[in-house]
Amino acid sequence: MMHTNTNLTLEEIRVQEKIKSEPARVKTDIEEGYCEVNVENLNFFYGAVQALFNVTIKVQKKGVAALIGPSGCGKSTFLRVLNRMNDLIPGTRLEGKVSIHGEDIYAPNTDVVSLRKKVGMVFQHPNPFPKSIFDNIAYGPRIDGLKDKAALSEIVEKSLKGAALWDEVKDRLNAPALALSGGQQQRLCIARALAVEPRILLMDEPTSAIDPIATQRIEDLIRDLCADYTIIIVTHNMQQAARISDYTCFFLQGEMIEWGKTSILFTNPEDQRTEDYITGRFG
Amino acid sequence: MITDVFKRGFVIEKKRSEWRSYELIGLWALRLTLVLVLFILGVIVFDIVSKGAGVINWEFLTQPPRTGMTEGGIFPAIVGTFYVTLITIAFAVPLGVGAAIYLNEYAVQGKFTRLVRMSVRNLAGVPSIVFGLFGMAVFVKLFGFGPSLIAAGFTLGLLTLPVTVTASEEALRTVPRAYREGSFALGATRWQVVRTVVLPRAIPGILTGTILGLARAAGETAPILATGAAFFLPHLPDSIRSQFMALPYHLFIMSTQHHAISQVRPIAYGTALVLLSLVCLLNLAAVLLRKRYRNRIAKGL
Repeated sequence: MMHTNTNLTLEEIRVQEKIKSEPARVKTDIEEGYCEVNVENLNFFYGAVQALFNVTIKVQKKGVAALIGPSGCGKSTFLRVLNRMNDLIPGTRLEGKVSIHGEDIYAPNTDVVSLRKKVGMVFQHPNPFPKSIFDNIAYGPRIDGLKDKAALSEIVEKSLKGAALWDEVKDRLNAPALALSGGQQQRLCIARALAVEPRILLMDEPTSAIDPIATQRIEDLIRDLCADYTIIIVTHNMQQAARISDYTCFFLQGEMIEWGKTSILFTNPEDQRTEDYITGRFG
Repeated sequence: MITDVFKRGFVIEKKRSEWRSYELIGLWALRLTLVLVLFILGVIVFDIVSKGAGVINWEFLTQPPRTGMTEGGIFPAIVGTFYVTLITIAFAVPLGVGAAIYLNEYAVQGKFTRLVRMSVRNLAGVPSIVFGLFGMAVFVKLFGFGPSLIAAGFTLGLLTLPVTVTASEEALRTVPRAYREGSFALGATRWQVVRTVVLPRAIPGILTGTILGLARAAGETAPILATGAAFFLPHLPDSIRSQFMALPYHLFIMSTQHHAISQVRPIAYGTALVLLSLVCLLNLAAVLLRKRYRNRIAKGL
Protein backbone atom coordinates (compact mmCIF):
# COMPACT_ATOMS: atom_id res chain seq x y z
CA MET A 1 0.00 0.00 0.00
CA MET A 2 2.80 2.42 0.71
CA HIS A 3 5.12 1.26 -2.03
CA THR A 4 2.81 0.17 -4.78
CA ASN A 5 3.26 3.43 -6.61
CA THR A 6 6.92 2.81 -7.28
CA ASN A 7 8.21 0.47 -9.95
CA LEU A 8 9.47 -2.53 -8.13
CA THR A 9 10.70 -5.79 -9.48
CA LEU A 10 8.84 -8.91 -8.53
CA GLU A 11 11.74 -9.89 -6.35
CA GLU A 12 11.63 -6.59 -4.47
CA ILE A 13 7.91 -6.86 -3.94
CA ARG A 14 8.33 -10.39 -2.64
CA VAL A 15 10.95 -9.20 -0.16
CA GLN A 16 8.77 -6.37 0.99
CA GLU A 17 5.77 -8.60 1.48
CA LYS A 18 7.91 -10.92 3.53
CA ILE A 19 9.09 -8.06 5.70
CA LYS A 20 5.57 -6.86 6.24
CA SER A 21 4.20 -10.25 7.10
CA GLU A 22 6.78 -10.96 9.79
CA PRO A 23 7.45 -7.62 11.47
CA ALA A 24 11.13 -8.16 11.15
CA ARG A 25 13.84 -9.57 13.34
CA VAL A 26 12.02 -8.89 16.55
CA LYS A 27 14.36 -9.58 19.39
CA THR A 28 12.70 -12.68 20.64
CA ASP A 29 15.76 -13.76 22.58
CA ILE A 30 14.97 -11.32 25.40
CA GLU A 31 13.75 -13.37 28.31
CA GLU A 32 10.56 -12.31 30.01
CA GLY A 33 12.26 -10.91 33.12
CA TYR A 34 14.68 -8.78 31.12
CA CYS A 35 12.10 -7.17 28.91
CA GLU A 36 11.41 -3.53 29.78
CA VAL A 37 9.15 -2.42 26.97
CA ASN A 38 7.05 -4.75 24.90
CA VAL A 39 5.18 -3.35 21.94
CA GLU A 40 3.02 -5.62 19.83
CA ASN A 41 1.31 -4.77 16.56
CA LEU A 42 1.12 -1.08 17.30
CA ASN A 43 -0.87 1.09 14.90
CA PHE A 44 -1.07 4.77 15.63
CA PHE A 45 -3.29 7.43 14.06
CA TYR A 46 -3.41 11.21 14.08
CA GLY A 47 -7.05 11.61 13.16
CA ALA A 48 -7.38 9.83 9.83
CA VAL A 49 -3.64 9.78 9.17
CA GLN A 50 -1.86 6.62 10.19
CA ALA A 51 1.60 7.33 11.58
CA LEU A 52 2.73 3.89 12.75
CA PHE A 53 2.07 0.57 11.02
CA ASN A 54 2.08 -2.68 12.90
CA VAL A 55 5.18 -1.99 14.95
CA THR A 56 6.45 -4.78 17.16
CA ILE A 57 9.48 -4.21 19.37
CA LYS A 58 10.87 -5.53 22.60
CA VAL A 59 13.32 -3.37 24.47
CA GLN A 60 15.68 -4.91 26.94
CA LYS A 61 16.25 -3.59 30.45
CA LYS A 62 19.16 -1.17 30.85
CA GLY A 63 21.31 -0.07 27.95
CA VAL A 64 20.55 2.30 25.12
CA ALA A 65 18.16 1.66 22.29
CA ALA A 66 18.34 4.12 19.40
CA LEU A 67 15.52 4.85 17.00
CA ILE A 68 16.72 6.11 13.64
CA GLY A 69 15.02 7.05 10.42
CA PRO A 70 14.30 10.02 8.19
CA SER A 71 12.05 12.90 9.31
CA GLY A 72 8.40 11.97 9.59
CA CYS A 73 9.11 8.26 9.84
CA GLY A 74 7.24 7.96 13.12
CA LYS A 75 10.14 7.50 15.51
CA SER A 76 9.17 10.45 17.70
CA THR A 77 5.55 9.37 17.63
CA PHE A 78 6.66 5.93 18.76
CA LEU A 79 8.68 7.43 21.60
CA ARG A 80 5.72 9.50 22.77
CA VAL A 81 3.52 6.43 22.76
CA LEU A 82 5.67 5.04 25.56
CA ASN A 83 4.83 7.77 28.10
CA ARG A 84 1.45 8.57 26.58
CA MET A 85 2.44 12.12 25.70
CA ASN A 86 0.39 11.65 22.54
CA ASP A 87 -2.69 11.70 24.78
CA LEU A 88 -2.25 15.47 24.89
CA ILE A 89 -2.86 15.74 21.17
CA PRO A 90 -6.57 15.64 20.39
CA GLY A 91 -7.76 13.09 17.87
CA THR A 92 -5.02 10.51 18.28
CA ARG A 93 -5.86 6.82 18.35
CA LEU A 94 -3.91 3.69 19.03
CA GLU A 95 -4.31 -0.02 18.29
CA GLY A 96 -2.20 -2.86 19.58
CA LYS A 97 -0.51 -3.55 22.86
CA VAL A 98 2.12 -1.53 24.65
CA SER A 99 3.36 -2.86 27.94
CA ILE A 100 6.05 -1.68 30.29
CA HIS A 101 7.24 -4.14 32.95
CA GLY A 102 4.49 -6.43 31.76
CA GLU A 103 1.75 -3.88 32.44
CA ASP A 104 -0.43 -2.72 29.60
CA ILE A 105 -0.02 1.06 29.73
CA TYR A 106 -3.08 1.64 27.56
CA ALA A 107 -5.36 -0.41 29.76
CA PRO A 108 -8.39 1.63 30.87
CA ASN A 109 -7.31 1.73 34.52
CA THR A 110 -3.79 2.96 33.81
CA ASP A 111 -2.68 5.91 35.92
CA VAL A 112 -1.00 8.11 33.32
CA VAL A 113 0.50 10.37 35.96
CA SER A 114 2.37 7.56 37.67
CA LEU A 115 3.31 6.08 34.29
CA ARG A 116 5.04 9.34 33.39
CA LYS A 117 6.88 9.27 36.69
CA LYS A 118 8.28 5.87 35.73
CA VAL A 119 9.01 6.85 32.15
CA GLY A 120 10.88 10.15 32.05
CA MET A 121 11.35 12.24 28.96
CA VAL A 122 13.93 14.66 27.62
CA PHE A 123 12.91 16.83 24.69
CA GLN A 124 14.58 18.03 21.54
CA HIS A 125 14.88 21.61 22.70
CA PRO A 126 16.01 22.05 26.29
CA ASN A 127 12.91 23.20 28.16
CA PRO A 128 13.84 24.20 31.69
CA PHE A 129 11.05 26.03 33.48
CA PRO A 130 11.58 29.75 34.05
CA LYS A 131 12.53 29.03 37.63
CA SER A 132 15.79 28.61 39.51
CA ILE A 133 18.06 25.61 38.94
CA PHE A 134 17.03 24.23 42.31
CA ASP A 135 13.31 24.67 41.66
CA ASN A 136 13.61 22.98 38.28
CA ILE A 137 15.13 19.83 39.75
CA ALA A 138 12.84 19.89 42.77
CA TYR A 139 9.79 20.29 40.53
CA GLY A 140 8.99 16.59 40.16
CA PRO A 141 9.40 15.66 43.84
CA ARG A 142 7.43 18.75 44.85
CA ILE A 143 4.41 17.98 42.71
CA ASP A 144 4.63 14.56 44.27
CA GLY A 145 4.03 16.25 47.61
CA LEU A 146 7.57 16.36 49.03
CA LYS A 147 8.04 19.56 51.06
CA ASP A 148 10.97 18.79 53.35
CA LYS A 149 13.76 21.17 52.39
CA ALA A 150 16.60 18.86 53.41
CA ALA A 151 15.20 15.93 51.47
CA LEU A 152 14.68 18.14 48.44
CA SER A 153 18.25 19.43 48.64
CA GLU A 154 19.51 15.90 48.77
CA ILE A 155 17.51 14.93 45.67
CA VAL A 156 18.67 18.03 43.82
CA GLU A 157 22.30 17.29 44.55
CA LYS A 158 21.99 13.63 43.65
CA SER A 159 20.17 14.37 40.41
CA LEU A 160 22.59 17.08 39.33
CA LYS A 161 25.50 14.77 40.08
CA GLY A 162 23.76 12.05 38.12
CA ALA A 163 23.51 14.39 35.16
CA ALA A 164 27.15 15.52 35.51
CA LEU A 165 26.11 19.10 36.15
CA TRP A 166 26.66 19.46 39.88
CA ASP A 167 30.21 20.85 39.77
CA GLU A 168 29.19 23.54 37.31
CA VAL A 169 26.15 24.81 39.20
CA LYS A 170 26.57 23.90 42.87
CA ASP A 171 27.44 27.50 43.77
CA ARG A 172 24.44 29.04 42.04
CA LEU A 173 21.49 26.77 42.61
CA ASN A 174 19.24 29.79 42.97
CA ALA A 175 20.27 31.27 39.64
CA PRO A 176 17.70 31.08 36.84
CA ALA A 177 17.96 27.87 34.84
CA LEU A 178 17.51 29.82 31.64
CA ALA A 179 20.84 31.58 32.27
CA LEU A 180 22.68 28.29 31.66
CA SER A 181 24.13 27.41 28.27
CA GLY A 182 22.12 25.20 25.90
CA GLY A 183 24.13 22.10 26.73
CA GLN A 184 23.87 22.77 30.46
CA GLN A 185 20.13 23.34 30.10
CA GLN A 186 19.76 19.96 28.44
CA ARG A 187 21.71 18.26 31.22
CA LEU A 188 19.50 20.14 33.68
CA CYS A 189 16.48 18.66 31.95
CA ILE A 190 18.04 15.22 32.26
CA ALA A 191 18.68 15.89 35.96
CA ARG A 192 15.07 17.08 36.33
CA ALA A 193 13.89 13.82 34.82
CA LEU A 194 16.22 11.79 37.08
CA ALA A 195 14.84 13.52 40.17
CA VAL A 196 11.54 11.62 39.84
CA GLU A 197 13.48 8.34 39.81
CA PRO A 198 12.21 6.93 36.54
CA ARG A 199 13.20 3.51 35.25
CA ILE A 200 13.09 4.45 31.61
CA LEU A 201 14.36 7.64 30.01
CA LEU A 202 12.99 8.66 26.64
CA MET A 203 15.07 11.14 24.72
CA ASP A 204 13.75 12.86 21.64
CA GLU A 205 16.78 14.06 19.65
CA PRO A 206 18.32 15.48 22.83
CA THR A 207 21.43 16.87 21.14
CA SER A 208 20.02 18.23 17.89
CA ALA A 209 19.86 21.78 19.26
CA ILE A 210 23.24 21.68 20.95
CA ASP A 211 26.83 22.30 19.89
CA PRO A 212 29.26 19.39 19.27
CA ILE A 213 31.22 19.66 22.51
CA ALA A 214 28.09 19.79 24.65
CA THR A 215 26.74 16.92 22.54
CA GLN A 216 29.72 14.81 23.46
CA ARG A 217 29.19 15.48 27.14
CA ILE A 218 25.58 14.41 26.83
CA GLU A 219 26.56 11.28 24.91
CA ASP A 220 29.06 10.41 27.65
CA LEU A 221 26.31 11.01 30.18
CA ILE A 222 23.93 8.72 28.32
CA ARG A 223 26.54 5.95 28.36
CA ASP A 224 26.97 6.44 32.12
CA LEU A 225 23.24 6.51 32.81
CA CYS A 226 22.45 3.38 30.83
CA ALA A 227 23.99 1.27 33.57
CA ASP A 228 21.01 2.18 35.74
CA TYR A 229 18.29 3.22 33.33
CA THR A 230 16.75 1.93 30.15
CA ILE A 231 17.33 4.69 27.64
CA ILE A 232 15.42 4.96 24.41
CA ILE A 233 16.74 7.71 22.21
CA VAL A 234 15.47 9.13 18.95
CA THR A 235 18.25 10.53 16.83
CA HIS A 236 18.74 11.97 13.39
CA ASN A 237 22.42 11.39 13.67
CA MET A 238 23.45 7.88 12.65
CA GLN A 239 26.96 8.31 13.98
CA GLN A 240 25.43 9.14 17.32
CA ALA A 241 23.29 6.02 17.23
CA ALA A 242 26.37 3.96 16.32
CA ARG A 243 28.41 5.55 19.10
CA ILE A 244 26.07 5.29 22.02
CA SER A 245 23.43 2.63 21.45
CA ASP A 246 23.40 -1.08 22.15
CA TYR A 247 20.38 -1.69 19.95
CA THR A 248 19.21 0.24 16.96
CA CYS A 249 15.86 0.30 15.32
CA PHE A 250 15.26 1.69 11.85
CA PHE A 251 11.91 3.28 11.04
CA LEU A 252 10.71 4.22 7.59
CA GLN A 253 7.34 5.74 6.74
CA GLY A 254 5.75 4.53 9.93
CA GLU A 255 7.06 1.01 9.70
CA MET A 256 9.69 -0.61 11.79
CA ILE A 257 12.02 -1.96 9.12
CA GLU A 258 14.84 -3.49 11.06
CA TRP A 259 15.84 -3.91 14.65
CA GLY A 260 18.92 -5.47 16.13
CA LYS A 261 22.25 -5.07 17.85
CA THR A 262 23.80 -1.78 16.78
CA SER A 263 27.05 -3.41 15.80
CA ILE A 264 25.24 -5.78 13.46
CA LEU A 265 22.69 -3.36 12.06
CA PHE A 266 25.31 -0.83 11.05
CA THR A 267 27.78 -3.33 9.56
CA ASN A 268 25.53 -5.95 8.12
CA PRO A 269 21.94 -4.77 7.70
CA GLU A 270 19.46 -7.31 6.44
CA ASP A 271 17.11 -4.98 4.67
CA GLN A 272 18.13 -3.06 1.58
CA ARG A 273 16.31 0.06 2.82
CA THR A 274 18.28 0.03 6.06
CA GLU A 275 21.46 -0.23 4.10
CA ASP A 276 20.43 2.59 1.79
CA TYR A 277 19.64 4.78 4.78
CA ILE A 278 22.73 4.13 6.84
CA THR A 279 24.99 4.52 3.83
CA GLY A 280 23.39 7.88 3.21
CA ARG A 281 21.54 7.15 0.00
CA PHE A 282 18.47 8.95 1.35
CA GLY A 283 17.14 10.58 4.48
CA MET B 1 3.44 53.34 23.70
CA ILE B 2 3.78 56.89 22.43
CA THR B 3 7.55 56.58 22.62
CA ASP B 4 7.25 53.42 20.51
CA VAL B 5 5.46 55.38 17.83
CA PHE B 6 8.19 57.98 17.82
CA LYS B 7 10.92 55.39 17.76
CA ARG B 8 9.35 53.80 14.73
CA GLY B 9 9.06 57.22 13.13
CA PHE B 10 12.73 57.70 13.73
CA VAL B 11 13.59 54.43 12.03
CA ILE B 12 11.54 55.42 9.00
CA GLU B 13 13.44 58.64 8.80
CA LYS B 14 16.78 56.90 8.90
CA LYS B 15 15.84 54.85 5.86
CA ARG B 16 14.53 57.79 3.90
CA SER B 17 17.02 57.24 1.09
CA GLU B 18 14.95 54.22 0.04
CA TRP B 19 11.77 56.25 -0.32
CA ARG B 20 10.28 57.45 -3.59
CA SER B 21 8.72 60.91 -3.68
CA TYR B 22 5.12 59.65 -3.90
CA GLU B 23 5.81 57.44 -0.93
CA LEU B 24 7.02 60.47 0.97
CA ILE B 25 3.64 62.09 0.38
CA GLY B 26 2.01 59.04 1.88
CA LEU B 27 4.44 59.12 4.76
CA TRP B 28 3.57 62.74 5.50
CA ALA B 29 -0.14 61.99 5.26
CA LEU B 30 0.28 59.22 7.80
CA ARG B 31 2.34 61.47 10.01
CA LEU B 32 -0.38 64.08 9.83
CA THR B 33 -2.99 61.58 11.06
CA LEU B 34 -0.78 60.83 14.03
CA VAL B 35 -0.34 64.52 14.78
CA LEU B 36 -4.10 65.03 14.52
CA VAL B 37 -4.83 62.18 16.91
CA LEU B 38 -2.33 63.53 19.41
CA PHE B 39 -3.73 67.03 18.95
CA ILE B 40 -7.31 65.93 19.67
CA LEU B 41 -6.15 64.00 22.72
CA GLY B 42 -4.17 67.02 23.83
CA VAL B 43 -7.14 69.36 23.47
CA ILE B 44 -9.36 67.10 25.53
CA VAL B 45 -6.82 66.70 28.29
CA PHE B 46 -5.95 70.40 28.25
CA ASP B 47 -9.61 71.42 28.39
CA ILE B 48 -10.33 69.18 31.36
CA VAL B 49 -7.14 69.96 33.23
CA SER B 50 -7.30 73.72 32.71
CA LYS B 51 -10.92 73.98 33.77
CA GLY B 52 -10.85 71.29 36.43
CA ALA B 53 -7.54 71.87 38.18
CA GLY B 54 -8.77 75.10 39.78
CA VAL B 55 -11.46 73.47 41.89
CA ILE B 56 -9.37 70.56 43.06
CA ASN B 57 -8.12 70.96 46.58
CA TRP B 58 -8.12 68.95 49.76
CA GLU B 59 -11.68 69.94 50.59
CA PHE B 60 -12.96 68.96 47.14
CA LEU B 61 -11.50 65.47 47.55
CA THR B 62 -12.56 64.88 51.15
CA GLN B 63 -15.90 66.63 51.64
CA PRO B 64 -19.42 65.71 50.57
CA PRO B 65 -21.39 68.06 48.30
CA ARG B 66 -23.19 70.87 50.14
CA THR B 67 -25.99 73.35 49.57
CA GLY B 68 -27.85 71.58 46.80
CA MET B 69 -24.62 70.22 45.33
CA THR B 70 -23.43 73.64 44.33
CA GLU B 71 -20.56 73.62 46.83
CA GLY B 72 -18.40 71.15 48.70
CA GLY B 73 -16.58 68.16 47.36
CA ILE B 74 -17.06 64.81 45.71
CA PHE B 75 -15.79 62.51 48.43
CA PRO B 76 -18.83 60.17 48.44
CA ALA B 77 -18.52 59.72 44.68
CA ILE B 78 -14.84 58.76 44.98
CA VAL B 79 -15.63 56.30 47.75
CA GLY B 80 -18.60 54.87 45.80
CA THR B 81 -16.54 54.33 42.67
CA PHE B 82 -13.83 52.68 44.78
CA TYR B 83 -16.32 50.29 46.43
CA VAL B 84 -18.14 49.41 43.25
CA THR B 85 -14.82 48.70 41.54
CA LEU B 86 -13.86 46.35 44.36
CA ILE B 87 -17.09 44.43 43.89
CA THR B 88 -16.48 44.35 40.14
CA ILE B 89 -13.06 42.79 40.78
CA ALA B 90 -14.47 40.24 43.19
CA PHE B 91 -17.09 39.25 40.64
CA ALA B 92 -15.29 39.44 37.31
CA VAL B 93 -11.77 38.22 38.09
CA PRO B 94 -12.49 34.76 39.49
CA LEU B 95 -15.24 34.19 36.95
CA GLY B 96 -13.30 35.47 33.96
CA VAL B 97 -9.98 33.85 34.80
CA GLY B 98 -11.70 30.59 35.70
CA ALA B 99 -13.61 30.52 32.44
CA ALA B 100 -10.43 31.30 30.50
CA ILE B 101 -8.52 28.51 32.24
CA TYR B 102 -11.28 26.06 31.50
CA LEU B 103 -11.60 27.13 27.87
CA ASN B 104 -7.90 27.08 27.18
CA GLU B 105 -6.57 24.27 29.35
CA TYR B 106 -9.39 21.81 29.88
CA ALA B 107 -12.05 22.03 27.19
CA VAL B 108 -11.63 19.93 24.08
CA GLN B 109 -11.08 22.46 21.31
CA GLY B 110 -13.78 22.28 18.68
CA LYS B 111 -16.98 23.82 17.41
CA PHE B 112 -18.33 24.43 20.88
CA THR B 113 -15.28 26.26 22.21
CA ARG B 114 -15.16 28.33 19.03
CA LEU B 115 -18.80 29.26 19.53
CA VAL B 116 -18.16 30.19 23.16
CA ARG B 117 -15.17 32.34 22.22
CA MET B 118 -17.12 34.08 19.50
CA SER B 119 -19.98 34.80 21.89
CA VAL B 120 -17.66 36.16 24.56
CA ARG B 121 -16.02 38.45 22.04
CA ASN B 122 -19.35 39.67 20.74
CA LEU B 123 -20.42 40.36 24.30
CA ALA B 124 -17.70 43.02 24.36
CA GLY B 125 -19.61 44.89 21.67
CA VAL B 126 -22.91 45.02 23.53
CA PRO B 127 -23.74 48.65 24.41
CA SER B 128 -23.22 49.35 28.08
CA ILE B 129 -26.79 50.64 28.51
CA VAL B 130 -27.98 47.14 27.57
CA PHE B 131 -25.85 45.74 30.36
CA GLY B 132 -27.47 48.32 32.63
CA LEU B 133 -30.91 47.19 31.64
CA PHE B 134 -29.98 43.54 32.13
CA GLY B 135 -28.45 44.33 35.52
CA MET B 136 -31.63 46.05 36.61
CA ALA B 137 -33.83 43.19 35.45
CA VAL B 138 -31.70 40.41 36.92
CA PHE B 139 -29.70 41.71 39.88
CA VAL B 140 -31.99 44.47 41.09
CA LYS B 141 -35.35 42.80 40.48
CA LEU B 142 -34.99 39.05 39.98
CA PHE B 143 -32.29 38.48 42.61
CA GLY B 144 -33.85 41.14 44.79
CA PHE B 145 -30.62 43.02 45.49
CA GLY B 146 -32.43 46.30 44.95
CA PRO B 147 -30.49 49.29 43.64
CA SER B 148 -27.20 48.70 45.45
CA LEU B 149 -23.42 48.45 45.30
CA ILE B 150 -23.63 44.73 44.69
CA ALA B 151 -26.11 45.00 41.83
CA ALA B 152 -24.05 47.71 40.14
CA GLY B 153 -20.77 45.92 40.82
CA PHE B 154 -22.08 42.70 39.30
CA THR B 155 -23.41 44.58 36.28
CA LEU B 156 -20.04 46.24 35.73
CA GLY B 157 -18.47 42.83 36.27
CA LEU B 158 -20.53 41.42 33.42
CA LEU B 159 -19.40 44.33 31.29
CA THR B 160 -15.73 43.57 31.93
CA LEU B 161 -16.05 39.78 31.59
CA PRO B 162 -15.35 39.68 27.84
CA VAL B 163 -12.17 41.67 28.35
CA THR B 164 -11.09 39.56 31.31
CA VAL B 165 -11.79 36.26 29.57
CA THR B 166 -10.17 37.27 26.29
CA ALA B 167 -7.11 38.83 27.91
CA SER B 168 -6.67 35.84 30.23
CA GLU B 169 -7.01 33.39 27.38
CA GLU B 170 -4.48 35.27 25.31
CA ALA B 171 -2.10 35.30 28.25
CA LEU B 172 -2.56 31.56 28.77
CA ARG B 173 -1.98 30.90 25.11
CA THR B 174 1.39 32.66 25.13
CA VAL B 175 2.79 30.14 27.62
CA PRO B 176 5.10 27.95 25.50
CA ARG B 177 3.96 24.40 24.86
CA ALA B 178 7.41 23.18 25.89
CA TYR B 179 6.72 24.19 29.50
CA ARG B 180 3.45 22.30 29.56
CA GLU B 181 5.01 19.21 27.99
CA GLY B 182 7.97 19.36 30.34
CA SER B 183 5.62 19.45 33.29
CA PHE B 184 3.35 16.68 32.02
CA ALA B 185 6.37 14.50 31.28
CA LEU B 186 7.37 14.73 34.96
CA GLY B 187 4.06 13.26 35.99
CA ALA B 188 2.15 16.43 36.77
CA THR B 189 -1.63 16.37 36.72
CA ARG B 190 -3.37 18.91 34.53
CA TRP B 191 -4.14 21.15 37.48
CA GLN B 192 -0.53 20.96 38.66
CA VAL B 193 0.62 21.97 35.19
CA VAL B 194 -1.77 24.93 35.24
CA ARG B 195 -0.91 26.00 38.78
CA THR B 196 2.88 25.61 38.75
CA VAL B 197 3.87 26.35 35.17
CA VAL B 198 1.10 27.98 33.18
CA LEU B 199 -0.42 30.46 35.64
CA PRO B 200 2.84 31.95 36.97
CA ARG B 201 3.77 32.72 33.41
CA ALA B 202 0.32 33.99 32.38
CA ILE B 203 -0.46 36.15 35.42
CA PRO B 204 1.14 39.35 34.10
CA GLY B 205 -1.01 39.25 30.98
CA ILE B 206 -4.10 38.33 32.98
CA LEU B 207 -3.49 41.18 35.43
CA THR B 208 -2.91 43.86 32.85
CA GLY B 209 -5.90 42.78 30.79
CA THR B 210 -8.07 42.77 33.87
CA ILE B 211 -6.92 46.18 35.04
CA LEU B 212 -7.60 47.68 31.62
CA GLY B 213 -11.09 46.18 31.75
CA LEU B 214 -11.61 47.63 35.21
CA ALA B 215 -10.44 51.04 34.08
CA ARG B 216 -13.18 50.99 31.50
CA ALA B 217 -15.77 49.78 34.00
CA ALA B 218 -14.83 52.44 36.55
CA GLY B 219 -15.69 55.15 34.05
CA GLU B 220 -19.00 53.68 32.88
CA THR B 221 -22.24 55.46 33.67
CA ALA B 222 -24.96 53.57 31.86
CA PRO B 223 -24.62 50.22 33.66
CA ILE B 224 -24.86 51.81 37.12
CA LEU B 225 -27.58 54.28 36.19
CA ALA B 226 -30.39 51.85 36.90
CA THR B 227 -28.62 49.46 39.24
CA GLY B 228 -27.64 51.52 42.25
CA ALA B 229 -25.97 54.85 41.57
CA ALA B 230 -27.68 57.71 43.41
CA PHE B 231 -28.06 61.35 42.59
CA PHE B 232 -27.15 62.43 46.08
CA LEU B 233 -26.74 60.61 49.39
CA PRO B 234 -26.24 62.30 52.73
CA HIS B 235 -23.99 59.49 54.02
CA LEU B 236 -21.51 56.96 52.70
CA PRO B 237 -22.66 53.44 51.77
CA ASP B 238 -22.50 51.18 54.83
CA SER B 239 -23.16 47.79 53.22
CA ILE B 240 -23.10 46.14 49.82
CA ARG B 241 -26.87 46.63 49.75
CA SER B 242 -26.58 50.43 49.99
CA GLN B 243 -26.98 52.78 47.11
CA PHE B 244 -23.93 54.83 46.30
CA MET B 245 -22.64 57.90 44.51
CA ALA B 246 -20.13 57.36 41.72
CA LEU B 247 -17.81 59.64 39.79
CA PRO B 248 -19.10 59.04 36.26
CA TYR B 249 -22.71 59.36 37.35
CA HIS B 250 -21.94 62.46 39.40
CA LEU B 251 -20.32 63.96 36.33
CA PHE B 252 -23.38 63.11 34.25
CA ILE B 253 -25.64 64.84 36.76
CA MET B 254 -23.44 67.86 37.19
CA SER B 255 -23.20 68.42 33.46
CA THR B 256 -26.79 67.68 32.38
CA GLN B 257 -29.28 67.21 35.22
CA HIS B 258 -28.41 69.81 37.81
CA HIS B 259 -30.75 72.79 38.41
CA ALA B 260 -27.92 75.26 38.06
CA ILE B 261 -25.73 73.72 35.41
CA SER B 262 -23.60 76.73 34.55
CA GLN B 263 -22.98 77.43 38.21
CA VAL B 264 -21.67 73.92 38.92
CA ARG B 265 -19.67 73.59 35.71
CA PRO B 266 -16.33 73.90 37.60
CA ILE B 267 -17.39 71.04 39.89
CA ALA B 268 -18.23 68.97 36.83
CA TYR B 269 -14.80 69.65 35.37
CA GLY B 270 -13.16 68.85 38.68
CA THR B 271 -15.05 65.56 38.79
CA ALA B 272 -14.00 64.80 35.22
CA LEU B 273 -10.38 65.45 36.10
CA VAL B 274 -10.53 63.18 39.14
CA LEU B 275 -12.17 60.43 37.08
CA LEU B 276 -9.62 60.83 34.31
CA SER B 277 -6.75 60.68 36.79
CA LEU B 278 -8.22 57.57 38.35
CA VAL B 279 -8.47 55.81 35.00
CA CYS B 280 -4.97 56.95 34.07
CA LEU B 281 -3.72 55.66 37.39
CA LEU B 282 -5.24 52.26 36.73
CA ASN B 283 -3.72 52.14 33.26
CA LEU B 284 -0.39 53.21 34.67
CA ALA B 285 -0.62 50.43 37.22
CA ALA B 286 -1.22 47.98 34.36
CA VAL B 287 1.82 49.25 32.47
CA LEU B 288 4.07 49.10 35.54
CA LEU B 289 2.89 45.62 36.45
CA ARG B 290 3.53 44.41 32.93
CA LYS B 291 6.96 45.94 32.98
CA ARG B 292 7.84 44.39 36.30
CA TYR B 293 6.79 40.92 35.20
CA ARG B 294 8.51 41.32 31.84
CA ASN B 295 11.76 42.08 33.63
CA ARG B 296 11.25 39.02 35.76
CA ILE B 297 10.60 36.86 32.73
CA ALA B 298 13.64 38.32 30.97
CA LYS B 299 15.68 37.29 33.98
CA GLY B 300 14.22 33.80 33.69
CA LEU B 301 12.51 33.57 37.05
